[in-house]
Amino acid sequence: MTTTAAESYILFELAGTAYAIASRDVQRMEMVEHVTPVPNAPAFVEGVVFSRGKVVPAINLRRRFGFQATAFDLRTRLIVVAHADRSVGLIVDSAREFVSIPADAIQPPPETLAGTSGRYLKGVATADDRVILVLDIGGVIDAPET
Amino acid sequence: MHWCLTPVTPEFEESFAEDLEDYVAECADHLSAAREILLDQETSSNPTQISKDQLDGLFRNFHTIKGLSGMVGARVVEEISHRLESYLGIVRKDSSLLTMVGVDVLINGLGVVESAIAAFRDGRPEPNVAALVQRITALSSSLPTGRNTAESPRVADVPMARKAKFTAALGRGDRLCIVTFSPAPDVAARGVDVNVVRSRLQAVGEILHAEPKSVAGGLQFLFVLAVNPAADFTGWPADNIRVEPYSPAAELAEVSDPGQTALPLTSVNLVRVDLARLDDIMRSLGEMVLTRARLENSLGRAAQFLPPGERRDLEETVQGLDRQLRDLREGVMRVRLVPIRDLFSRMRLVVRDLTRETGKDIDLVVSGEETEIDKFVVERLADPLLHLVRNAVSHGLESAADRVAAGKPPRGRLALRAAAVGGTIVLEVEDDGRGVQFEAVFARARSAGLIAVDATTDPMAVLDLICAPGFSTRDEVDRGSGRGVGLDVARRAIEQGLAGSLTLDSRQGAGTRFTARLPLTLIVADVLTVSVGGQTYAVPQTVVREVIPVEAGSTIVLENNELIRHHGGVLPLLRLDDLFHHPRPVGSYVALVVGDGTSAMALAVDRAVGMREVVVRPLTDLLVQAPGIGGATELGDGRPVLILDPAGLARYNRRRVAGSPVRAGGLS
Repeated sequence: MTTTAAESYILFELAGTAYAIASRDVQRMEMVEHVTPVPNAPAFVEGVVFSRGKVVPAINLRRRFGFQATAFDLRTRLIVVAHADRSVGLIVDSAREFVSIPADAIQPPPETLAGTSGRYLKGVATADDRVILVLDIGGVIDAPET
Repeated sequence: MHWCLTPVTPEFEESFAEDLEDYVAECADHLSAAREILLDQETSSNPTQISKDQLDGLFRNFHTIKGLSGMVGARVVEEISHRLESYLGIVRKDSSLLTMVGVDVLINGLGVVESAIAAFRDGRPEPNVAALVQRITALSSSLPTGRNTAESPRVADVPMARKAKFTAALGRGDRLCIVTFSPAPDVAARGVDVNVVRSRLQAVGEILHAEPKSVAGGLQFLFVLAVNPAADFTGWPADNIRVEPYSPAAELAEVSDPGQTALPLTSVNLVRVDLARLDDIMRSLGEMVLTRARLENSLGRAAQFLPPGERRDLEETVQGLDRQLRDLREGVMRVRLVPIRDLFSRMRLVVRDLTRETGKDIDLVVSGEETEIDKFVVERLADPLLHLVRNAVSHGLESAADRVAAGKPPRGRLALRAAAVGGTIVLEVEDDGRGVQFEAVFARARSAGLIAVDATTDPMAVLDLICAPGFSTRDEVDRGSGRGVGLDVARRAIEQGLAGSLTLDSRQGAGTRFTARLPLTLIVADVLTVSVGGQTYAVPQTVVREVIPVEAGSTIVLENNELIRHHGGVLPLLRLDDLFHHPRPVGSYVALVVGDGTSAMALAVDRAVGMREVVVRPLTDLLVQAPGIGGATELGDGRPVLILDPAGLARYNRRRVAGSPVRAGGLS
């Protein structure tokens, strides 16, 4: 159907919006268990978790994007991403779908897009009548300058 | 009021605890040696044919355990090992007397002795040994010399508990003898009873030991008496008080067996070292490495002022030091390594029991037993390995009928392998059973909403799923898909407890292989766990000098510092609740005194929880490199616990309070 290569993405939801991360960046998805807060870490860092025996930081993506943080529930997921030799967990409202998005279906993010997640976007995709924000993992897990 | 970290216990209790530790450790050595011999024996082509060396070895193992148990007062252990030793004593005279039942009783006995030792150590009730005793008795009495050997009064039964007295008496040059008094009506009629005998003996020498013994025909009293060698003491035969010379030297020695050929020694060149001492050495080494780095820095700064020849010399010296330190570090690491053999032997025993339980015939193939692994790791590996082996036998391997139906040989095959690959130990538990039913696992995960419909189906994902909470509860599905409970426990222990990894390979119908990769050595530290604002933190024990209780409102505020009185002086108080933005505790709390001299300070925490030995993991990611946090660990519940770095906390505090006054103490 498409002329360009399609890549597999994991879809997740955050504050009612659909986001996508490239499957190749995702190491695994887990239920959120035992997050230990790290005092004086950046506010969007929920803490550290054990994932496959490694201690990895867990980012609360709601806080990262400036949304109201909510309590975790059964749908809450930890998506562990690997990027530039780092492993970082992203806490999202829910995640359970894989989609294939052709490269030409992803548009660069409009500069006028409101909301703080704009800084972490690689593009906007339209698939199955849905608008999906495609994340730039490097930007999301970058440590803020102190 | 303060208390030190070292528990203050009465001296005797402390020394008893130490003795007990030595006792358990030494017994463990003998048990594992005996276990090895017996298991080899049982699996050999001709189990009842045993070499003299092996019999001697077994005899010595039980003999030593008996002696040690007598010294610490572990009566049940002493009793059983004595009976096993007696049986072995008979078999040693004629090895053709060893039967399959005998080997089985010995293995059974080994397990009972082990659990009795553990019960003694933990102060638990003694295990029930009646069945075993009955088996041994039946076995011994079936032998030609059985009864006799088991019941003749044995010198070895007497003296171990009184070792010190005996040694002292021998040291004085006293002559020791065994005095037996057999009460009889005619003697009693003359007024000679055991109390009379006792006072008579006390007049002649020192009674080192006394015990009643039941013998054929009634009761007998046995005394060990130390008398002056010049005295001519022959007892009172007319009153049924008889004297035999007694030489306890052999019994007092570690290994004894007068009248037999010398037994092969196993431990002549071995030294038992407490791991804590090695840790101390490692710590000193760590400090030396830092000193070397400082030396190198100074050299770098001074280099420009030095003549080239001098500089080169110094640089070479520093390089030499670097190399030597690395060698030394490796040497110490090597000392901590022990072969994995003992752990594998335990698994052989487990498989043996499982074979009986499940009725499945299993060939256990073990390789790489000589692989050396850190003592700390080995001790914590037993449990996860047990789970993996159990899982393989119970759920991996099929019944003989199913195997034949599937075109496989009826006997299942279970392989245990260990190998050192680079700085890693690779352990494999592999069965040739039915394999994991991937599709069943995925179908269930999909229906439970654990994975997306088109999720990849790689083995790693399967391992995640079968270890996932909420997945392991449905037992019937799990069994059907070839897994059992305990896997999650095994994985957690390996990954979180030992900083290793566990992977799964499985081919449906052909078998399953679990591979654990473990670091050769770990950074292990003793920590004090504390609670701050409801969170648990760990503080390296080496930096904590004291733990002191602090009453609310007892602190002094001085400019930007809060101080507490301590040993006639004052210490700056750093409140972790403030640093970590937790509310301050209500009422009294606890402070850890850390640092030395001018850098000494008190860290206020809500309360001290306990002491633990933990595996330290670095926190490398920038996102969580928070001030005063030195690393993370785990206390067994899968929850990461942060390890505090008091020096870093102090630095952070200095920056933080510069300019802003702290809250007045005691307001909370």
